[in-house]
Amino acid sequence: MTPILEVDRLSLHYRTRFGGRIHAVDDVSFTLQKGEILGIAGESGCGKTTLVSGLMGLLIPPLHRTTGAVRIAGRDILGLTPDEARRTVLGREVSMIPQGALNSLNPTRKVKDLAADVIRSHDERADRSAIHDRLRERFTKIGLDADAVLDAYPVQLPAGTKQRVVIGISTLLNPKIVIADEPSSALDVSTQKAVIRLLFDLLDEGIVSSMIFITHELSLLRHVSSRIAVMYAGQIVELGTTEQVIFDGRQPYTRALMGSMLSAEPGQKARKPVAIEGAPPYLGQELHGCRFAPRCPVAKPDCAGRDQVLREVKNHWVRCHHAE
Amino acid sequence: MPSDSLCFEANHLSRAFGHGRRRRLAVNDATFTIREREIVSLVGQSGCGKTVLAKMLLRLEKPTSGQLLFRGRPIDAAADPREHWRQVQAVFQDPYAAFNQFFSIRSQLKAAFHLFPQRPSEREMEERVDQALLAVNIRPPDIEGKYPFELSGGQMQRMLLARIFILRPQVLIADEPTSMVDACSRAGILEYLMKLKEELQMTIVFVTHDIGLAYYVSDRIFILHEGQIVEQGTPDAVTQSPTSPVTRQLLDDIPSLHREWIGRAPRA
Amino acid sequence: MFANHPTLRYIAGRAGWYALTFFVAVAINFWLPRLGDANPVDTLMSKVSGSLDAKSARDKEESYLKEFGLVDLDEQGRIVRDADGVPVRTSILSQFIRYVGMSVRGDFGSSIVQYPRPVADIITTALPWTLALQIPALILGWFIGNSLGALAAYRRGVFDRVLYPMALLVSAIPSFCFGILLVYVFGIQLEWLPTLGGYDDGMNPGLTWAFVQSASQYYVLPFFSIFLLVVGGQAIGMRSMCIYELGTDYVRYAKLLGVRESMIVRYMFRNAMLPQLTGLALTLGGMVGGALIAEMIFSYPGLGLSMLTAIQSLDYPVITGCTLLVTICVLIANFTVDILIGFLDPRIRAAREGGH
Repeated sequence: MTPILEVDRLSLHYRTRFGGRIHAVDDVSFTLQKGEILGIAGESGCGKTTLVSGLMGLLIPPLHRTTGAVRIAGRDILGLTPDEARRTVLGREVSMIPQGALNSLNPTRKVKDLAADVIRSHDERADRSAIHDRLRERFTKIGLDADAVLDAYPVQLPAGTKQRVVIGISTLLNPKIVIADEPSSALDVSTQKAVIRLLFDLLDEGIVSSMIFITHELSLLRHVSSRIAVMYAGQIVELGTTEQVIFDGRQPYTRALMGSMLSAEPGQKARKPVAIEGAPPYLGQELHGCRFAPRCPVAKPDCAGRDQVLREVKNHWVRCHHAE
Repeated sequence: MPSDSLCFEANHLSRAFGHGRRRRLAVNDATFTIREREIVSLVGQSGCGKTVLAKMLLRLEKPTSGQLLFRGRPIDAAADPREHWRQVQAVFQDPYAAFNQFFSIRSQLKAAFHLFPQRPSEREMEERVDQALLAVNIRPPDIEGKYPFELSGGQMQRMLLARIFILRPQVLIADEPTSMVDACSRAGILEYLMKLKEELQMTIVFVTHDIGLAYYVSDRIFILHEGQIVEQGTPDAVTQSPTSPVTRQLLDDIPSLHREWIGRAPRA
Repeated sequence: MFANHPTLRYIAGRAGWYALTFFVAVAINFWLPRLGDANPVDTLMSKVSGSLDAKSARDKEESYLKEFGLVDLDEQGRIVRDADGVPVRTSILSQFIRYVGMSVRGDFGSSIVQYPRPVADIITTALPWTLALQIPALILGWFIGNSLGALAAYRRGVFDRVLYPMALLVSAIPSFCFGILLVYVFGIQLEWLPTLGGYDDGMNPGLTWAFVQSASQYYVLPFFSIFLLVVGGQAIGMRSMCIYELGTDYVRYAKLLGVRESMIVRYMFRNAMLPQLTGLALTLGGMVGGALIAEMIFSYPGLGLSMLTAIQSLDYPVITGCTLLVTICVLIANFTVDILIGFLDPRIRAAREGGH
């Protein structure tokens, strides 16, 4: 089966004011199948946000492509002009559920007008009443009191409702791929669960075909995604099924992430969580050797000097030459 | 070990907001005690009243009714609230908001000494800043000359805790200190909270919506719902044999590695 | 009274505050000139007394005292006198009441210098010039300044790099300096435009072609001295507001959803406009003050010039009449802007109507 999305050895960099380059995404490859949820895990600064810009075809200077391609249905979306990307990719092929849903809605516009703007931006001939009916139907479907919510300003809505509204607007045009960037990190655990349920519903009903779910909570991905890519310092360091990555991680960073997790389950208190010390390397310099080595609890003397490549270990992909 | 003497004692404590039809009780008839050298977690969903309760302990909100004692005396016994803040300090969600972005971190840590009636000598201040940094596992040279925007959320939250190590208050109110921190750094923040309690004999009130976090650090957990304390007990009692449906719901809502969470298999 | 109508209640509440402000302004306006020793009757007497004998001088003085309301009058309108026959001076409070009563009727008394010309007449002659100069300059300047600022923020690049320093320069020059600069460059050095007055000497104001042509030449420099300052100041404010709006999460989100650029520009413009309007409400008084100074520099026959000549000759009735009128105009404009913000910003509206 041909994948719905194909990321092929993608590298992206920012140009700094002083002529330097920050290699925020380095040699990232993966595919996304129809109906699949791919999880991307990593701490802040690992290149997740830059990768998202690339996946949406939004290379706005100072962000540039170094090499590689992002193909949706065989078409490289990074070669498009900004206006082509806006008209044909954004919102339709790839849409986005942002991290800060609370600040993502224009405070001076009613929900219905914001939603209508998205539709009209892609279909200039859509008429007013047709748009309104469509909005009512969609907002009811995602479990909102459509009339009240559509007629409200964002400030009048509670956080959980706002998050639903954002999901509703992001998926209005039935996008093939939805990228959810920490959609629940600002919510409490109960609202978070409701939001994840809603995302599942959207997939089940075929409103959305596939999803990329970005988070630093591995325990969440365990229940959400079918495969997980772990990112560190701009690179994918491990890629496999959820089971493989979570319960049989082979890359030391993945294992460290697991080891830092907290859990309220009986008997888990005995297993002391260990935070990963230090910070990821600065990506504005030439990096040699394993990027995790300075923080790696099992680093060996040869790690620092040896560039790591993604290779197959136990039926999945790992970037560590010691992994077995 | 928590001692037997009481740090906070609340009797039928309530706080209302709004008037008339819109009057709402953010904290509703709360009665509890917090002992010296104890870590108590206030756990609940957003809007459950945990933050309002924490603010009352900090003397930032006044109770509408009921009594709140701090070390045996009414919390507002001293006219000057700064009297209270010398003993009770707080860390909040957003560590960047707590630092001035135009000054180096080290200079701001040193500025904490201004709160003391007598400032120690220059050399002692430098030494104590170094000690505080080491206490939160940061090598002093690593932040030398750095400004807040250059550090991650997790590192900045540790700077806040380093400031607490310098100030050495007797009580610390920590309101969601891990919510803006990467999952992999959370364990560290919790570890330093426990260290503050053990090494500096601090009483800590930890506010969170994640009962999983509370489970790790607390001596006791209070579960709040719609302004009321619906359950209180040791972490093991609360997580393993919860009596309130609210607690069960909170436990159920945490995604866990080993337990079914959402009632559906991940999609393939 | 408006308990069930939040919008009316809001407007009534604002109106209440403005009424209070107005009252205070009137009171200050009344008291300020009376703080000094100068007395209009003395001023007038010093002009005429030399040519009069003692008796007619006293009669003259008493008629002036009556005219300016400085003595008590009985029912027949005669001056009340004490035992020595000296006129009884009116208390400051009853002077104030009389002043308010007259002001409400549009009667500001008589000018001292141009006695017996009524102040109202001086004002009505000057007012059209001021309105014709200031309203277009302020409103046009505000719109163009905001548009340029928004454009600079949105386009950035060369346009921004040229516009921004220029706007900074213009708005950093005090208004009187700027006027003098324009006079020097365009009036004296280049001799393109006339610099003093409102129309050619010897012309009679009226709707004749020759007069309009002459007046429009005189209009250019004072207009630009006000207009450019407003443009500069507004452009700087709007530019930074727009840059802020363009960096917000909601703009980023809209872009990620493929919302058309024209709509995003509209979001930006509207949301940046709200704080700009608030700023306008705060600075309107200052802007009008600056514009009045421009009139003085160009000897433009408006209120500013009337005020200047009145101040130079201590013509108090004219000064208070003019300042009172300017105060009323600024308050009305402020009130309008204030109500407008309340309607344009849904956050304020929602808070008013008791949303979430």
